[in-house]
Amino acid sequence: MEDKFTVSEFIAYCNQTLEYSYSGCVIEGEVTSLKTSQGKWVFFDLKDEESSVNCFIPVWNLRVELSEGMKVLVKGTPKVTAWGKFSLTVQAIQPVGEGNIKKSFEALKKKLEKEGIFDAAKKRPLPRELSRIGVISSTQAAGYADFIKIINERWGGLEIFVCHTQVQGLAAPDQIIRALEYLNERSEVEVIAIIRGGGSADDLACFNDEKLVRKISSSKIPVITGIGHEVDESLSDLAADVVASTPSNAAQMLTRDKKAEISNLHDNILRIKTQIISRIELTQNDIKLKTVGISAKILSNIESSIYKVDNLKRVLKSLNPENVLKNGYAIITGKIKIGEEIGIETEELKIKAKISEVKEKK
Amino acid sequence: MKKKLSEKISELEEKVDWFYGEDFRLDEASAKYKEATKMAKEIEQDLEELKNEIKIIEEDFTKES
Repeated sequence: MEDKFTVSEFIAYCNQTLEYSYSGCVIEGEVTSLKTSQGKWVFFDLKDEESSVNCFIPVWNLRVELSEGMKVLVKGTPKVTAWGKFSLTVQAIQPVGEGNIKKSFEALKKKLEKEGIFDAAKKRPLPRELSRIGVISSTQAAGYADFIKIINERWGGLEIFVCHTQVQGLAAPDQIIRALEYLNERSEVEVIAIIRGGGSADDLACFNDEKLVRKISSSKIPVITGIGHEVDESLSDLAADVVASTPSNAAQMLTRDKKAEISNLHDNILRIKTQIISRIELTQNDIKLKTVGISAKILSNIESSIYKVDNLKRVLKSLNPENVLKNGYAIITGKIKIGEEIGIETEELKIKAKISEVKEKK
Repeated sequence: MKKKLSEKISELEEKVDWFYGEDFRLDEASAKYKEATKMAKEIEQDLEELKNEIKIIEEDFTKES
């Protein structure tokens, strides 16, 4: 006897089989009949040239901007509803192809810009002295290898905590988000570097995931991105505090260059030597100038003293009574009174005389 | 406690600045110069020898915690 089901049992059995066999399957197709219901659900059909499948995704889980005709990659689980309708419950969705990625990028950029997610005022500078760096990347990726190589060449003594995640594909955004949460919760690192080497627009599309962009913007630890090549720009870059053009550039921005540092050390020592020599020369010159100054002062004092002595000598000479006698004058000593004897001294003689007359001059 | 490389570099910068500052004294210059050269050599050696420590976090980020 064959197994017999009720309709509900049959649908439940089908769903069980579908979930077991096709859970998380990835389908590529074009979005048509896109509509949002009650602001909670997004419905669309995913189609190719021959077939079409109904899809739905909760609004909160739609992390890219969709539009009619957009080619997308969808990850989901097929399901048969109680009414027998076959549909795909979408877990993740990503635009495919450069044009679609660009279109979705621009629409989401506009929306997030309005919210101030990319505001320049929110950007924090990288800490000047780093000792612990968090890295989110795939440890198998070439970009990660470049990043580590450059860091090791440039600087030492750093602790680098690496969160290994996918860096492309539909699963990548959630893994990177979990790694960001992990590093933020532990607060062990001073900066978080999200690293991914170059790739096609499809490879890098995961960095335009809305939830990831918001998580980067709200990270309490500063975030630097080094994603793709110079020409690539993702919404994650716009939300990060600092954007490096490549993984290697991120490594350069995070570290000083020890070669330059060593050269700087040598320059400093040379500068000190030159400075000491210059200071010695200055001091020598100063001493010379002071010596010359002292000699001049002594000489000037001696000359001034000689001049003073000469003057005094001249005055003394003029005051000498001998000089008066030489000019024919005489010195009279004694009382000027008639009959009194007085002394008279000339240049050559000493005379005694008596006063016979005293008369006042008129 | 062993000084960090960045601390040593800052200290050396201060030592170099002394030679250009108002506190400079010729009778102290020789000793200060020897100290600065010694520190520069230490820093150079540190720079050559210090390696980075890379720790791969064991957490599985493919799964929701």
